Amino acid sequence: MSNEDTRTGFQWEKLGKVFDPGRTQGRPWLKEFAQAPATLIFDDFVRVYFSCRPSADASGQYVSYSAYVDLDRADLTRVIRVAEQPILPLGDLGTFDEFGTYPVSVIRHEGKVRAYYAGWTRCVSVPFNVAIGCAESADDGMTFQRMGPGPIIPYSLDEPFVMSGPKIRKFQNTWHLFYIAGKSWKMVRGRPEPVYRIRMASSPDGVTWTKLNKDLIETVIEDDEAQASPDVFWADGRYHMFFCYRYSENYRSHENGYRIGYASSDDLRTWTRDDARVGITVSPTGWDSEMVSYPHVFRLDGRVYMAYLGNGVGREGFGLARLTSHASWAA
Amino acid sequence: MIKTRLGKVFDPTEHTLPQNCKEFAQSPQTLEFDDFTRVYFSTRSLDQGGQTFRSHMAFTDMSKDFSCVLRVSTQPVLPLGSLGSFDEHGIFPMSVIRHENQVWGYTCGWNRRASVSVDTAIGLVVSDDEGTTFRRLGPGPILGPSLNEPFLVGDAFVLKTDGMFHMWYMFGQRWKRETEAATPDRVYKIGHATSMDGIDWVKEDGVQILPDRLGIDECQALPSVIWFGGRYHMVFCYRDVHGFRTDPSKGYRIGYATSTDLVDWTRDDDALGFQTEAETWDAEMQCYPHLTVSAGTPYLLYNGNAFGRYGFGAALLALT
Repeated sequence: MSNEDTRTGFQWEKLGKVFDPGRTQGRPWLKEFAQAPATLIFDDFVRVYFSCRPSADASGQYVSYSAYVDLDRADLTRVIRVAEQPILPLGDLGTFDEFGTYPVSVIRHEGKVRAYYAGWTRCVSVPFNVAIGCAESADDGMTFQRMGPGPIIPYSLDEPFVMSGPKIRKFQNTWHLFYIAGKSWKMVRGRPEPVYRIRMASSPDGVTWTKLNKDLIETVIEDDEAQASPDVFWADGRYHMFFCYRYSENYRSHENGYRIGYASSDDLRTWTRDDARVGITVSPTGWDSEMVSYPHVFRLDGRVYMAYLGNGVGREGFGLARLTSHASWAA
Repeated sequence: MIKTRLGKVFDPTEHTLPQNCKEFAQSPQTLEFDDFTRVYFSTRSLDQGGQTFRSHMAFTDMSKDFSCVLRVSTQPVLPLGSLGSFDEHGIFPMSVIRHENQVWGYTCGWNRRASVSVDTAIGLVVSDDEGTTFRRLGPGPILGPSLNEPFLVGDAFVLKTDGMFHMWYMFGQRWKRETEAATPDRVYKIGHATSMDGIDWVKEDGVQILPDRLGIDECQALPSVIWFGGRYHMVFCYRDVHGFRTDPSKGYRIGYATSTDLVDWTRDDDALGFQTEAETWDAEMQCYPHLTVSAGTPYLLYNGNAFGRYGFGAALLALT
């Protein structure tokens, strides 16, 4: 691939849908959805965490759990194991994660696996609030224990609610947490919908966080554009972020639904958005024909992959794409 | 310790308050002026439907000895928070300090939850007109839940001393039901945080600074601290976890502790010497206490029966 091609964009080969939650058996907590994939790489397999739901309750409300599937490292389209249980029970009465743990992002640390996850509670004037918690695993990521009953990063003056979508990374011994924070609740046809933006915090230990207090990614489609899944990847001397974005209204449709965007940065603080380079969008037909969202980019055996969601924001599972360009990532 | 009981000194039903508030003057907290004392309190309006309340801040200016009401606030001190915010459904209480020609208010904002009744967090609001009106620094809280304080962070009381800001506040430990069919009740304790600028706070995160008197489910709230006579004095209120609304033997009482270093506190509720007379305004309950030094004299302000529905009272203290 020429340098000119690299500047014009990434090229991805879609490998298709890899995991369909509707085909699993004997797991009442895993009936629908496999949302927000995040990977942990083992010698023989790649563990992909995702969030799923049992059937809705009598009043139509869902809870969400997080779990994993293990993919054959030699053939990532082959599922070799599905978690027997959720990786974490729901939180206690009145806690921030009483009604859901979604999504989750994992990192190895001192022989353990640490998970940063969003916890969901239910409110009265708006449907929910979300905060980011932390849990640790001593069994290679099969089960996790909370570090405490409350969230690990606080709400603050200009991050008032809906802190969600954590992505944990460590660069040069500093921990970085990329996440979304709500800006406002917007009434759309009588229903409150959250508007949120991508944010970042840094930490020496993954526990005590200093927020940057700045929206990282400018909006392009409208002022109330919602952005999610800030997945940051270091390659060729720069930071690259794949994320997803959508309109604030009527976003459960092909026209206004999620698409995947791209930005790059030299210092993690200032980002240049350039969605034209992303190189992946909806297919003409099939499982990802209406929307593509929740990208997670990972490197494996000399190749770069993207796990992502298709129609219905992962209602029918997640899929994979493989970067076909081996050229420089630099713009 | 209590030298003279002054009785009830403010009754909200005798005044016209903004925002259609008629009852409740809860959690009196003072701002001293040269010739009067401004007492902020939380009052309530009825929600649409009339089944639930919203708490709003208001104030009354009183003579320095709390014998006369000079005026009450005629406009909203602070509007409630926007949709989905931590202080959307009420602000109760607010602790005020003077700081660099402004008045800062540390609010306790309330928002309703589905599985439990409510959550709270601490906000910061600023006044440039001597505390007549306040504006938010942002829509979110300055102190909310953390790893070991999972909910119900509120009731901040802030004291500036030796170039440092200290905050004592309430944090929730758990929700529990008295019976399987009962609505959940909350357990909360008093914690401590410090700050260099009054905005960014470092919590002790889950450390309860006062021992329990009623067992591990004792609820402790509304700390208030003054320096007087060579040491720090704290009042707060405490109660049983269940039955506190209807059974006077389980309702709020006022607690008392002292410290010389703001680190170690010695609790001695009996030293306060609180006594009530049967069938008076504060016979069944004493809650939401506040300490202030007015014209050189220490006073205790507090609410009585029914969580302050019909006002607050005062007592003159002899602190040592």
